[in-house]
Amino acid sequence: MQDAPEPPLLGCDSCGLVSLVDPGRPLPLGAQLRCERCHHALRSEKPQSVQRTWACVIAAAVLYIPANALPVMRTTSGFENGEHTLLGGIHELWLDGAWGLAMIVFIASIAVPVLKIAALALLAWSVRKAPRWRRLERARLFRLIEVVGHWSMLDVYVVVLLGACVRFGSLASAHPAPGLLAFAAVVVLTLFAAHSFDPRLIWRDPPPHG
Amino acid sequence: MTRAENSLAVCERCGKAHRWTLLEPGETARCTRCQAVLGRGHRLGIETILALTVTALVVFGVASSTDVLTVSLGSAHVATTLPGAVLAAWQDDERLIAIATAATALVAPALFIALRLYVLVPLALGKVPAGFGWCVRALHQAGRWSMIEVLTIGGLLSLVRLAALADASPGPAMFALGLLTLLFAAIESAGLRHLWWYVP
Repeated sequence: MQDAPEPPLLGCDSCGLVSLVDPGRPLPLGAQLRCERCHHALRSEKPQSVQRTWACVIAAAVLYIPANALPVMRTTSGFENGEHTLLGGIHELWLDGAWGLAMIVFIASIAVPVLKIAALALLAWSVRKAPRWRRLERARLFRLIEVVGHWSMLDVYVVVLLGACVRFGSLASAHPAPGLLAFAAVVVLTLFAAHSFDPRLIWRDPPPHG
Repeated sequence: MTRAENSLAVCERCGKAHRWTLLEPGETARCTRCQAVLGRGHRLGIETILALTVTALVVFGVASSTDVLTVSLGSAHVATTLPGAVLAAWQDDERLIAIATAATALVAPALFIALRLYVLVPLALGKVPAGFGWCVRALHQAGRWSMIEVLTIGGLLSLVRLAALADASPGPAMFALGLLTLLFAAIESAGLRHLWWYVP
């Protein structure tokens, strides 16, 4: 691929068709450019991308506390009642000798959400405050977040499946507990945050002051 | 605003324009600025993708109607299907969890398959279905929210956790989920942009 000159070319987010936007003719107020082929709105960036990202990231960070502090699963076996937190579940796997699995669950449930919240906060902050800093690395970081993002749903599925098949009355049973809802909300919010962030902002130069 | 020449491609990740040249099958073009993938030369044609999607429909039917896990404790047996697990979470008053699970494990994969069939069958016959643009955008969302591969690992993980407590074995749906993970990866590798090339 070769570089093309930088005329006001906009690619359609939906179908990829490239349109030439005439900068000499500003649009009337309230009008929206549309792709000629698929009629999807043509934009140079997602509307309010940074604000939306911040809103989701902050909400996710707040909910991360009850997600880890509250139990995600209640169990009954014999006459014992147990409550399991995310970290507790990983600890049990580790004690059982299932180190590989413990690592997988640790990465999916603890490392990925923390990494996502921190990375999205860094991306949203740097767009405004450090626009020229390590652009290529930030672009790569965003792509990494998009790939690993949904793996955090792992623990939600495990608890739902265990809750459905451990149903032996007082002998043994498992049920989802309130922490799971907070955790699922963290996962969904970080996914929304990643969808809200527009990586094109990483490459935009700040407007000159004055 | 005018349609720019067809030989241009704009990187969706950073907005940089590139001159587009046809890619050989298996070749990958990357953005010269942010190194994101601009496009791939496709090995799979539209008929192949259609065949894979029909296969995925059958496998999804198995995955959503048969047992994922079977658990025995003494003389008691409990088995659960995927919709059964969602229903159990709903009855446990964890309604939002049930909705999130249903959306990512059942609805999004179902749309992923159904919308693709709706789009691909007419395209293979040389026609363009009504609402094509809307369908392609909905397919993009369905692909984003479908988490079959995570569910597969989640099922296996549940099996391991259960093995400590009772006699647990995987049902047909577990194997179907594994197969569906591979099928979805193959179908998604073709992307969605190329569908527009068939539209006059």
